[in-house]
Amino acid sequence: MDFNLSPLQKMIQKTTKDFCDKEVPKIDDYMAEHDDYPPDLLERFAKAKLLGMDIPKELGGTAGNNFNMILIAEEMAKTGTTATLPLFMNNSVAETIFFWGSDEIKEKFIPSLCDGSAWATMAFTEPGTGSDPRALTTTAELQGDEYIINGTKRFISMASKPGHGVFYVKDLSLEGSKADTTALIIDKETPGITFSDHYKLMGLEGSDTCDVFFKDVAVPKDNVLGEAGKGFKILLRWIAGERIQQAAGLVGTAQAALDEAVKYARQRIVGGAPLGMMQGFTWMIAEMKTKVDACRLMTYNTIMLQDGNKPFEVPSAELKVFVVPMVQDVCRMAVQIHGSYGYSKEYKVEKLFRYAMHGGIVASSIEINKTIAGQAYLAGKSP
Amino acid sequence: MNIIVCMKQVPDVTEVKFDEHGSMIRSGLPSIVNPNDKHAIEAALTLKEKYGGDVTVISMGPPQVEEALREALGMGCDNAIMVTDRKFAGADCWATAYTLGVAIQKIGTYDLVITGQEALDGNTAQVGPELADSLSLPLCSYALEVSIDDGKVHVLQNMGTVVRELEAPLPCLITADKAMNEPRVAPMDKIMEAYQKQIITWGFDDLQGNPDNFGLQGSPTRIRKIFSPKRAKAQVEFIDGTPAEAARKLVDKLKELNLL
Repeated sequence: MDFNLSPLQKMIQKTTKDFCDKEVPKIDDYMAEHDDYPPDLLERFAKAKLLGMDIPKELGGTAGNNFNMILIAEEMAKTGTTATLPLFMNNSVAETIFFWGSDEIKEKFIPSLCDGSAWATMAFTEPGTGSDPRALTTTAELQGDEYIINGTKRFISMASKPGHGVFYVKDLSLEGSKADTTALIIDKETPGITFSDHYKLMGLEGSDTCDVFFKDVAVPKDNVLGEAGKGFKILLRWIAGERIQQAAGLVGTAQAALDEAVKYARQRIVGGAPLGMMQGFTWMIAEMKTKVDACRLMTYNTIMLQDGNKPFEVPSAELKVFVVPMVQDVCRMAVQIHGSYGYSKEYKVEKLFRYAMHGGIVASSIEINKTIAGQAYLAGKSP
Repeated sequence: MNIIVCMKQVPDVTEVKFDEHGSMIRSGLPSIVNPNDKHAIEAALTLKEKYGGDVTVISMGPPQVEEALREALGMGCDNAIMVTDRKFAGADCWATAYTLGVAIQKIGTYDLVITGQEALDGNTAQVGPELADSLSLPLCSYALEVSIDDGKVHVLQNMGTVVRELEAPLPCLITADKAMNEPRVAPMDKIMEAYQKQIITWGFDDLQGNPDNFGLQGSPTRIRKIFSPKRAKAQVEFIDGTPAEAARKLVDKLKELNLL
């Protein structure tokens, strides 16, 4: 196993940084003013070929791999921009459709996720559940060649943006069977779909996170992803990959917090010496650096399982269990090192701290991941 | 329209550190494509998109230059040539221009040679003009705009307070002003393809030039000393009074110092 990055991988990091230096300030300025994503955000990603990272070129992708994607995720997350969310989503939803979809489904839905003309969404959570398929209340009733959808999805990212998403529904045609969750690809502009206002979140400013309301929404039955009733399996695989992307992003967040803390600890003079020379702060820096390095190595290890077509669902749960508290602690210490300045919105660490807090909640809670990892080990299903 | 772009790899001086004597610590500094040369690459790629043809990027330096050439390929250049040999080491502007000139003659036919206006680490702005002289090409420096018409190149030249309109026959050498364009970021798929492409490598034996003109021995320039200028300690003066009074005093002060 070799964790040294190849010249190409280093160039991918550098190119992403170049993209961030050029584009992210403009993106963040727009988002600060409009509390929303720039309408051409995905086009900018597409122009830089940051979408469809592991999708074949015939479908509009870049034919890379997931390792490349996490290098990009880490680099972009260092900026603290919320724009990482749609970048992750368009990539991971395209990958999911590619993995489970028929050729027809792939050709119909993947190219627009790669060229940036469609905003991707993944929607499972409802007012009454975030992880239990038995508790889903959004229903799909099969009528001829169409499903009729009714219900509400909650906290859905990029929900009201034009494009399509994978929505998980209780399939009434499978009522009584053990698995009745079906994944449907739904055009978000279909008549009968409405949206709430955006939620005001603790971090991730400007993100389009809202509820989606379905009222007798007709969806072609050909839009089933995979097989009817296999929806939860599709969700679990998607979320396992999403956790790794998220972990890579969080490593970037922590690295940025560490960089800011070190810069401040060198510049701030206390009692005639830089703040960082005081043992209490020196030790904080040591802990932060160690945690960031360990998180990065574990992220690399997990993504190599995915790229190697080895089981990665449980390892990605373990990854989240490890990375989230580490990164949140690193960001907390970065705020602490900055003192009152760290508590001020003038300084980047304040934003990074709030950003890091989403890690334990979004894309599956840390508690459910502890359950997945613990139960797998108890059952002898984890090496 | 076949275009040759000359590019240099330089230390990233945004991350530069100085030792206790104020000298730049070069070891461990990351290397980057000379930012001004990215404007030259962008100009070449824009012309290629408009008029067709190929863009060949050429760079002289140690083998690490390969990384910069891969980046240029990722931006969209078609071919890359690395000119590297220990005998080329220590070259000043003249010897660099000579070496690049011999390499460009070896390439054969071309319509344009484009360079950046100057390198980040030397700031001489000499290599482009000296290369034009070496190749006996007309020179259009500090180009803000370039267009081709009827076998001629038309250039708007940035002369500071004035802009000149130039016309020259092809082939011609242009140095790109940094206000000319905004260099593109290499798209990720092209970066990946760039690492699959072959880079042509030419050494001393390949170029067949005059051995006396290469490297340190071919360099008429001798550096006697490198030093960082001493920084004068700034004096801070606080101006009292109401905002209007303070503003007036500030203006008077600036006039006194011939700054207004």
